[in-house]
Amino acid sequence: MAEKPRLKLPKEAKKGEIIEIKTLLPHIMESGQRKDKDGKPIPRKIINKFVCEFNGKAVFVASLEPAIAANPYMQFHATVEESGTFKFSWTDDDGVIITAEETITVT
Amino acid sequence: MKRGRTLARRAVVSLIGATALFVATGQGAKAQVAKKEPPLEVKGDASERPWKRYAGWPARDESKYNTLGNLATPPAPTQPRKITKPITGNAEKGAGLAADRDRGGSCLACHVMGPAGGANLPGNVAPDLSEIGSAGREDEWLFNYIYDARVYNPETVMPPWGSHGFFSDQEINDMVAFLKTLKSKAVFKTELDDPEKRPPPVEKRENLDPIENPGMWAVDKAQELWTQKSATAFSCNTCHNDPKASFKTWAASMPKWEPRLDKVLGVEEFITRHAKATTGADWLMETDENRAMSVYLHYLANDTPIHIDTSSPPAKAAIERGKELSQRKVGQLNMACTDCHGKSANHWIRGQWLAEPKGQYDHFPTWRTSLLAVWDIRQRFQWCQVNIRADELPPDAKEYGDLELYLASQNEGQKLSVPGIRH
Repeated sequence: MAEKPRLKLPKEAKKGEIIEIKTLLPHIMESGQRKDKDGKPIPRKIINKFVCEFNGKAVFVASLEPAIAANPYMQFHATVEESGTFKFSWTDDDGVIITAEETITVT
Repeated sequence: MKRGRTLARRAVVSLIGATALFVATGQGAKAQVAKKEPPLEVKGDASERPWKRYAGWPARDESKYNTLGNLATPPAPTQPRKITKPITGNAEKGAGLAADRDRGGSCLACHVMGPAGGANLPGNVAPDLSEIGSAGREDEWLFNYIYDARVYNPETVMPPWGSHGFFSDQEINDMVAFLKTLKSKAVFKTELDDPEKRPPPVEKRENLDPIENPGMWAVDKAQELWTQKSATAFSCNTCHNDPKASFKTWAASMPKWEPRLDKVLGVEEFITRHAKATTGADWLMETDENRAMSVYLHYLANDTPIHIDTSSPPAKAAIERGKELSQRKVGQLNMACTDCHGKSANHWIRGQWLAEPKGQYDHFPTWRTSLLAVWDIRQRFQWCQVNIRADELPPDAKEYGDLELYLASQNEGQKLSVPGIRH
């Protein structure tokens, strides 16, 4: 699939540094409030959960509700104490979990 | 273009041609493109036929009025209508009509009008009418200005609200009655509502940042399409294996007159016809694939100043035609491109800033945040038409080619920055 999640975080950081992480996921985030041209409601289909883990431990967790706009953009901070891997997971209403990973070197 | 067997036959012909090219240059699997005309499918249209308006766009049929491809608008009246009795109308109803956005306007799109519409973000394309009631205007003048302003000013931008069927005579009477009550300056709730004080918008978003601009996903999509092998086992990559180097400036030289088709070709139509004639890929204009490829081909030429051929005889003629088309009044609202982007440039139409043509082309195709979609320049032309109540043409219409060439000539020197990001 061409449209991959976008991640933006530093490749390196100092121990104890607070880094900024940005993520963008391609997703329709259909709220369930819209109607099609025949007046029938378009069923809800959103990402309802976003999890950021570092070396297996949850760092940032969010529950998303239907008011979040399409292509959800998440921007948050994390404190890094050691090198490792950030793993991002987005859970769709249909149960599918989209994931992405990025490593960071901490000195 | 017809699908099915004709497609297969043409693909085989193209394959033979392409194979001959490979043999001739003796490069084997990694082909080099010889310096010759790029193959183009010259038969058929480059977009769906019959052309169907996009879903979600107003479904109005405006065939009674001019389009950029057809003249139909009835002639303007030469004389104002005689008003023999003083106008009686319901001023309150008139105030409502002046603010009603479902009737083609509202009037507030162009005029500040005292308390009408709560003085909520009115435009300033046209004079402030807040004190028109004390201006000493006759009822006949007020009536006819709304009914058809062309009888007083043949160059007017104002739509002919009466003669083009927007409002009945009684409704215009109501609006005249309302105008006659306007005798003091508008009171704005905030400074932003006052078009004279409202600061023009500046686009500050980083359009090439993939985190900021969802339109950048089109680049990824195009890179996938680039190496995608068609039924003929060819992909773009077969001949163009280094797009970054090969297309560093190409898009900035488009659009261009194409003698084989006797029209101006923009990037999108070029993609359709070139893909069809080489790999056999079926990428009609206004498909996701075509838009992604157009974004990519422009993106590869980012930072290159737009510089098109304006000196060859066919280019000169096309630019002249494009200029005339930009001045043609179209649609039920009877407006020309130059009405907004010439006479009214650097003014507010309701809450939207009208820009000059220079700067309106270098960021296309653009991501549109309000629609979550990539729009190319042809779709933008089409929306302008439909929005002023004129029927749009198919995206590959030759008139749009002439118009695009003229617009590109007005953007000479502007650096490409694609995909753009806009509302």
